[in-house]
Amino acid sequence: MSEVVITVGDRSIRTINQEIQAAVADGHAVCVKETLSRHNLGIGLPAGARVRFEGSVGYYCGGLNSGATIEIGRDAGWGTGEAMASGHITVNGYSGMSVGASMLGGTIHVKGDCGPRCGVAMKGGDIIVEGKLGYQSGFMAHAGRIIALGGAGTSCADALWEGQVWVLGDIESLGVDTQVVEPEPEEAASVEQLLAGYGLDDSAHDWRKVISSQRLWYFESRDANAWLMI
Amino acid sequence: MCGIAGRILRGYGAVGNDLVELMDAQAHRGADSTGFAVYSKLCETGYKLRLMGFSRAHLDSDLDEFAHILRAHGADYLSEPVIDDSGDRHYAVRMLISEPADLVRWIDDADLIADRIEVQSLGKSLEIIKDVGDARAVADKHGVREMMGTHGLGHARLATESSVLPTASHPFWARPFPDVAIVHNGQITDYYSWRKRLQQQGYRFMTQNDSELIAVWVSDQMSKGLSREAALDKSIDAIDGVFTFMISDTQGIGFAKDRFAMKPLVTVEDGGELAAATEEQAVRRVVRDECHVINYDGPSLTRTWTVGPQRAAA
Repeated sequence: MSEVVITVGDRSIRTINQEIQAAVADGHAVCVKETLSRHNLGIGLPAGARVRFEGSVGYYCGGLNSGATIEIGRDAGWGTGEAMASGHITVNGYSGMSVGASMLGGTIHVKGDCGPRCGVAMKGGDIIVEGKLGYQSGFMAHAGRIIALGGAGTSCADALWEGQVWVLGDIESLGVDTQVVEPEPEEAASVEQLLAGYGLDDSAHDWRKVISSQRLWYFESRDANAWLMI
Repeated sequence: MCGIAGRILRGYGAVGNDLVELMDAQAHRGADSTGFAVYSKLCETGYKLRLMGFSRAHLDSDLDEFAHILRAHGADYLSEPVIDDSGDRHYAVRMLISEPADLVRWIDDADLIADRIEVQSLGKSLEIIKDVGDARAVADKHGVREMMGTHGLGHARLATESSVLPTASHPFWARPFPDVAIVHNGQITDYYSWRKRLQQQGYRFMTQNDSELIAVWVSDQMSKGLSREAALDKSIDAIDGVFTFMISDTQGIGFAKDRFAMKPLVTVEDGGELAAATEEQAVRRVVRDECHVINYDGPSLTRTWTVGPQRAAA
């Protein structure tokens, strides 16, 4: 697959995204240079697209991804991969707040730390964070897995639904309505199989799996203790 | 969803131009109004003063009354007022004044005509320029790109809970503390209770804007003996709401972020130089090369940055 180089600089993001889409439609891989942390790069890319952003990107990079493979060379701003349906996004550095927000499927792989509310309201897919999860990560996640290899910050998995937060290392504090459970062997095997696909299988894993304790699911307003929990 | 920015240069330079770039890149965060706080060379005597008048038809008489109040407090103009009356309804004035015998009492009296003329900044170094419109419009109208200095703040406002007026724009001067300014992205939910308590201490607010309150709150804490760092730390628990604000004085810039981590701040900090903004892409307007970017994304954060010793040589 030949590679087309596109330079962002001060040009309009609409033009850049049209050029990326055109190159992808013609069967090219794309390298995007001089990204300057600009917002909304690589939105709505289709299956089979291979797009690499050199440097850092701003908000919502790879949002609405529908099967593309996207690599971000350095850091990413807020909302990376927001509402993506499928495909794969790699962030080689830090990923800002709400990475994978409302994502439906696919995988996001963050090699550094991530900001607050990683995977907020996600509805499927996997987010792998080699570093530490930010504050309140997994907030109200409906489904899917967040897998952190470097611990988690405060209020981890706050108000979780059926999503799961898997953590190696310290969790500074759990969010409301959560519990840490022992994973089933086949669940752990599934997580470790996923990690192995990213070359992350070289350590003995002592997982802490955080799930909802479901007290807020069936909230009873006359339950004083439930109010205190909030 | 406002946008804020801060800039510290290694030395005396074109800080106005950098602030305009930082805010132009964030114009989409709110183009109701834009403002800048610029710290330039210190006055050896007196103060730099910026004010806004609201009736061009009464410009001469209102300025006469302002001068009369100033002289009644033992001060006077050190330079002729420079008047920009190109606005549709309001006009802006810049002047140098000598020091009133009692600054607090003078500003109290001067504020009696605040419905016609409002003092928007006062300081040995600080000048606040703000108006309705986006960064380019305000910068072009008021010559902000040409302003030289060591550091400053910028703000793009998406008006929510107070009017779209030049006077309701950021930055706010921490009345009556010379040289203190603030920009704020967020919302203070216990605004009225704090406003009442501060008014009972004698402070006066010119707007219904919660950001104006934070500037006075922090300055009040510092006047009672807290360091800037301690006052910022205290603000996180004392003030309720979602906020990231930056406050500045002649010594530098500080910021505080609330417990809920809702409002971003991104910085590049390199050898005494600071570029800070709500969005990283704005910072990259003034730091083009790939660089180490710090995301202050977590909850309950504060930080201060001081202007370097090179300032003394400016």
